[in-house]
Parts: sequence; C-alpha cells; structure tokens
Amino acid sequence: MVDVQLSDAEKTYIIHGAQDNLREDGRGCEDYRHLEIETSVVSTTSGSAKIRLANTEILVGVKVELGETSPENPDKGRIEFFVDCSANATPEFEGRGGEDLANEISNMLARAYDCPSCLDMRKLCVVEGKKCWIVYVDVLLLECGGSLFDASSIAVKAALYNTSIPRLTVTHDEGHTELELSDDPYDVQRLDVYNSPCIVTLSKIGHSHVVDASQKEEACCLARLMLAVTDKGCVTAMKKEGSGSFDVSSIEDMLETGKKVGQSLNKSLMEVLVSEDRNMKKKYMTGYLR
Amino acid sequence: MAVDIRLASTCVRLKPESIDELTNLVTPGDVITSDTGFMRGHGTFMEDGKHHASVAGVVQRVNKLICVKPLKTRYNGEVGDIVVGRIIEVGMKRWKVDTHSKLDSVLMLSSVNLPGGELRRRSEEDEKLMRYYLKEGDLISAEVQSVFNDGSLSLHTRSLKYGKLGQGSLYLVSPSLIKRRKTHFHNLPCGVTVILGNNGYVWVCPTEGEVSEQTGGYEQNFEPVVRADREVVARIGNCVQSLADHRMMLFDTSILYTYEASLKFPVKDMMKPEVKTEVIDLARQRLERDGT
Amino acid sequence: MPTDTRRITGPESSVSPYSFCKIQEPQPLFNSQDLRKDGRKCDQVRPIFLKTGVVSKAQGSAYLEQDGTKVICAVYGPRAVIKKEEFSMKGQLRCDFKYTTFSCKYRRQYQQDNEEKDYSVQLLEALEPAVLLHKFPKAQVNIYVTVLQNDGSALAASITCSSVALCDAGIEMYDLVTGCSTRLAGDRLLLDPCKHEEYSSKEHSEVNNGSVTVGLMPSLNQISAVTSSGEIQFEHLKKAINKCSEICVQLYPVCQQSLSKSVKENIKENT
Repeated sequence: MVDVQLSDAEKTYIIHGAQDNLREDGRGCEDYRHLEIETSVVSTTSGSAKIRLANTEILVGVKVELGETSPENPDKGRIEFFVDCSANATPEFEGRGGEDLANEISNMLARAYDCPSCLDMRKLCVVEGKKCWIVYVDVLLLECGGSLFDASSIAVKAALYNTSIPRLTVTHDEGHTELELSDDPYDVQRLDVYNSPCIVTLSKIGHSHVVDASQKEEACCLARLMLAVTDKGCVTAMKKEGSGSFDVSSIEDMLETGKKVGQSLNKSLMEVLVSEDRNMKKKYMTGYLR
Repeated sequence: MAVDIRLASTCVRLKPESIDELTNLVTPGDVITSDTGFMRGHGTFMEDGKHHASVAGVVQRVNKLICVKPLKTRYNGEVGDIVVGRIIEVGMKRWKVDTHSKLDSVLMLSSVNLPGGELRRRSEEDEKLMRYYLKEGDLISAEVQSVFNDGSLSLHTRSLKYGKLGQGSLYLVSPSLIKRRKTHFHNLPCGVTVILGNNGYVWVCPTEGEVSEQTGGYEQNFEPVVRADREVVARIGNCVQSLADHRMMLFDTSILYTYEASLKFPVKDMMKPEVKTEVIDLARQRLERDGT
Repeated sequence: MPTDTRRITGPESSVSPYSFCKIQEPQPLFNSQDLRKDGRKCDQVRPIFLKTGVVSKAQGSAYLEQDGTKVICAVYGPRAVIKKEEFSMKGQLRCDFKYTTFSCKYRRQYQQDNEEKDYSVQLLEALEPAVLLHKFPKAQVNIYVTVLQNDGSALAASITCSSVALCDAGIEMYDLVTGCSTRLAGDRLLLDPCKHEEYSSKEHSEVNNGSVTVGLMPSLNQISAVTSSGEIQFEHLKKAINKCSEICVQLYPVCQQSLSKSVKENIKENT
C-alpha cells in the first residue's frame, strides 16, 4: 500500500472513531465513499471503464485478441489481468516501485475470476483446440486514495460488462477452417458478467472493521480480509493481508459484513451499468472533464 | 450501510461561476510591462528590457516591485507565518519537518519549549530524549522564525500555543486558499478548534480545556473523544474540504458559515457533490451579503 | 517474461505430454464407503513427519513430510538489513516460496511465477504476527521455503514447516503457526487434500467446490492466514475455517514434540 505517516494521537482518534461507528469523514463503518463510474471512455479498446472513488481513480481497458487454445483447456478462452501502477499516481511507484502492489492486485483479480460461474470461458472458444478469444484486462492506477482492490474490481467488472467481442463465423471447408469477421460493428457478442465478483476489503481497525478504508485508515490497520463476493452471495476468493492476525470469532463477523456489503455493492453496480446501457444514445461523455 | 454508485454523466458538474473579468491575469512569456522603472519580483524575468511573466497567475504591484502570484504552488514561507507540519526525521539537535514547502523545514532543539514550559539550557540529556518529545509522524503547530538563503524555513514553537498536536484530523489544501489573518487559531463556537496553517495544512480538533495547553501538548491525551465532538469535527473537516474543492478562501467566517449551512444534512452526505455545491452556494451568498 | 540468460533453455516452448491426454471425467472424490482414493476418511489428515536442523549451515531449518508433500525450509538471520529504508525499530521478515521445477506434474519454471510470489506474500503475512519483530531492530530474517515434491496442501505445510524452522533458529516468537487446508465438495469437507483432490477451476463448476487454507496460532487462538479459492457460500466457508482451525490445534503437539526432541538432542551433544 502507499504509505502515509500518522502520529500516535491521530491513530488513536481514528481507532476510537471506528469503534464509535463514526469515521473521520462522518461515515459509518459499512459506508462506501462517493463512487462515480463511466464506461466506454477509451475508443481503442473493446471495453473500458473509469471509476473514481473519492481520491482513488482507476482506468480499465479490455482488449480481446484471437489466440491459440491451451492444450489443457482446449474448449476455453482465457482472461489475463495486468495492473500498472502508474508513477502518475505517486512518485513511489516510479521504476519498479509499484510492482509488488501491482502483482498483488492482479493475482487477487485472477483468483477472483478463476471460477467457471464468474465468467463463462467456454463462450470465448472459437474453434475447439485451435482458436479462442483471449481477454486482456489492463488496470491502470491513476490516483491512489485507499481501497485500491475494491475500486479495481469494480472497474474491471464495469469494463467487462462494457466489452463487446466481434462476431466470428466459422466455416469448415474441405478440412480447412475459415474464420469470417462480421462487417457490422454492432454485430457483437457481449460478456455475461452478472455473476462476476467485486472485492470487498474489510480493514480491522482496533476492535472493529471498516469497509472502503481511506489512506489514513489503511495506515492504522494491521490486518485486512479481502473477499471477492458475487451477486449470489458466494465467495470466489479470500485473502488475509497485513502483519496482524484475527480472532477466530471476529472472522465470522467480518464474513457477515462482507456478504452484506458485497451483495449490495454488486446490486447497485449492476443497476448503474444497465441504466447507462439503456441511455446510451442520450449520453454525453464526461471523461476527464470534471 | 450505503453504497452510492453513480454514472459520471449524471453527476452535477460545477458550473463555471461568473468571475469578474480579471485583467491582470498572465501566462508564462506574457509581457507585463516594458517600462524599465519597475523592479523584478518573483514569477517574472527580464528580457530585451521587458518584464515577462514566468508563471501563470495574477500580477501584483507593490510600489515599484512587480511579481506574479501563481495560483497553485508549494508553500513559500514568510517570517511570522503560522504553519502546521509533520516531523519526518529526527536528527542531531534538530527535527526535519514537512510543511509543504519546496525544502524540508527545520525545527531546532533550541527553539522548542520543553515539557513543562521550562526555558532552560538544553542539556545532553535533552538531546537523547528528542525522539521522546517529537518522533517521526508527529504533527506540530509552529511559527516561521527565519528563512534560509535556499528558501528552507526555520521554525520555532517557543510559545505555549504552539507545540505537538493531539487527537484530531489534518486536511491538506492549497496554501493560496488560506486567507492571511491576525490569528490562525480559532476556537469555533461549535466546540472545535481549527488551526489554519499558512502552508495549507488545516488542523481540526475538539476544543480542549486549559490544562493541556499549558504543557505544550507533550503529555498526550489518548482518552476517546466523545461521539458528539467527533461528529462536529468531521463536519468541520468536510466543510474545509468542500471549501477547498470549490476554491473558496478559508478563514473563520467562511468555515463557520459553511458549517451552519451544512447543518441540515447528515455529516456523511457532505461528501456527495450536489450537497457540497448547495452548501457552498449558501455560504457564498451569505459571505457576499456580509461583504456589501 | 524475462528469461535467465545463464541457462541453456530447451526449445522455446515445450509442452508436457500430459497436456494431450484425453480429458478425463472428474473422478468422484470418495467411494461408496465414504473413503477417499488413498483410503482416508474425509476428516482424516495424512501423517506428518517433522524434523528440525536439516540444513547445517542455516540458523534454523525444518523438513516436513506429509505423504507425498515434502517441504524443506531454511532460516537465515537475523542479520543487518542490506537495503536500508527509513528508520524503524522493528526487524524485517523476508519470505521466499519456491516449488522445485520437478515438484509438480507439469514442469515449473526456474523463476518464481505468480503463484509462488503470491504464496511468498501469504507465508510472510502468516508468520509476521507470530514473531517479536521489535526484538531485532534494523535486522532482517530470511526464510526460504522449497517444496521438493507437491502432493497437495503445499501452502499449509510450508506455514507449519517455516514456523518450526523459525523456532529452531532461536527467533523469539509469541506462538507457533500451524497450517491446514481443506477441500470443500458440496456438503463435505476433505481435510488435507492430495493434489488430485485440490480444487481446480477447470474441473468443478458447481457451487461450494473450493479450497480453504488457514494458518493458526494455536495457543493465542488467532488466525494469521486465511485464503480460499473457488465459489463458496458463506456458511460453508465459516464451517471450513472452523474445521481447519481445529486441525491446526491438533498439529500443535506434533510441532512441540519435534522441537523438544531437537533441543534434547542438542543438550546431549553439548554435554
């Protein structure tokens, strides 16, 4: 994580605040900060999304390319995650500074999506044993303001929802296989991301836990639990992070909160995405003009 | 709990406010004047006998001195300024302090009040206890004592009102938004103390009794803050943030007016842009009414 | 992908012959008598062999064998930090997890891949809460874990093995950390899964198929590591975490025994 330094008194203030269910900015323990989302922001991608969660800003671009199927999974496509911690966000990321964080985020995303029900990889297969679509998901961190995992997962889900894959027609001719790309730009295949997970990070501060921790709160937190929660209320990946440890009973409380928050996060995200899709024509781009 | 997700396109944008025509706005390279009778100040350079601007900002003229004040800048300290800073390094007989200026500021061991407010010679013992007094990460309020040749600042806390800060929260805004006043310590009637550092660091904390002020803050109080106080601190903090977001000057009245305008909303709603805009508009109108 | 220039690599890309085997239907995990393929009951853990002091040059070391899973761990330090960062009164822990190239069914790369990096971090975070870091300021301890042979539950085995090795190195700790993993299959929990029992996303698509690994500090009753994969409902997840913690507590005496044995042997040698 990107570090901020705090004095002992500031930490005490934040820890007691979490216990009182009233955080520094007036939020309760289970409240998210204001979240803005926009899809199809980069026209050179197959799908893209930009989100802003208070000071955290993340841009996700999805590109689909044709590739060889792997021998282990001849009937499936692939999804690959790459996270770039741009030095634009903070000078600490310069050079290889952001590599560890980038690896952690991309590993967590890959694990969260490594579930057949999250994204049906069979639909990405073009010719069994030969050709398939490979979905490259590139996450770019533009500004860091805490909750990077949560924000990246939301942005990834939005970008995948926005992704359109060109329709291919496969014809078999005298032992040859021919692929024909549709000319119509609107003749596309969409991905079903209805059951894709969102990551909920529960940061343990003192004896209570909070969601969507700000950078200051992250500095006070010794251990956090990350849960990738689907709309149905299942966990597809879980991970503990940080140098602290949890009480057995507090894990149960955190799982409860994670389920509740995760489901409502998924629900509101889907609502917003669907409504944006519906109003596609009226829409004007906001992009970076804030 | 609440998850508030919106589309960027549906969000209320700040409408460009009708700014009075600024005539003295310049960008780098603009010729300010070709009159050679003027003196060259900050943000300007001379070429072909003409004064050119080197930054984007507002031209200021004091007698014969011309300078351009940039709108966004690191903090340029002046003697007598009140600053809030964070200790970043403990060194030999001095602390290094981050004050959002170009170079780290220095706080000498000889220019602090030691616990108990004693004014005595600093012994070797004190040198060893430096990390005990102030350690990395600690926040202090201080006054600029002098400015070195290279622009770095020397601070002092030799008054009981300065010193280590206790429980509360820090907000970072642009230094140009802090209005220069006679006093930068404000005990607001709502039970909150605000320190508006000239360097753009704003400290908000619950107002404490007389007791702790006597010690210069070395003895820290780690007792939990009452929930009601905490709420007011959060609200004032959000007001400071909103004012800064809307590029409004920060001083006691503007903060207080914003606070009063915000009272009809729950604290956490103040992070929503439309609420921010409404609250700030109300405060702005009231300030303008006062002004006339 | 950067390649190691000091090695003569084989053909650019080689593929294991197993990749071309006909994909087998996933086999049932247990037979009609509720026994697993290797004859274990669902909640039966494989016997553990644990020995300390296997790497003579290292400050501390341990070897752990659970049937087909073989892990060796060496601890070096505390020694002065090489790369100095900002002042801190705490010591640093470094972890390096590596599968040997031949430890799995498919040949692994010589360089650390993403899974191994991920495990290194998880191992580090599992051990950190147990170590008294403030006892060796400005110094670091390096922990190297090598999986010689992988037959499932590699992370759990590494956690147990490395905490014993840390203890063998004489590093002050609040508690040992023991690890246990379980495989969820519907309503059942298969404890300490073998490689073929471990969850893999390509074979199992139903809900509540997945793996959970827990690292527990038994005498403090604190969970220091928890990770899962596969789609699992919350109730099942809780059950799995609780079951794993139970087993972790049972592993504690095994570690204690092996540690006290090594202490006894040392005393004998010294006198």
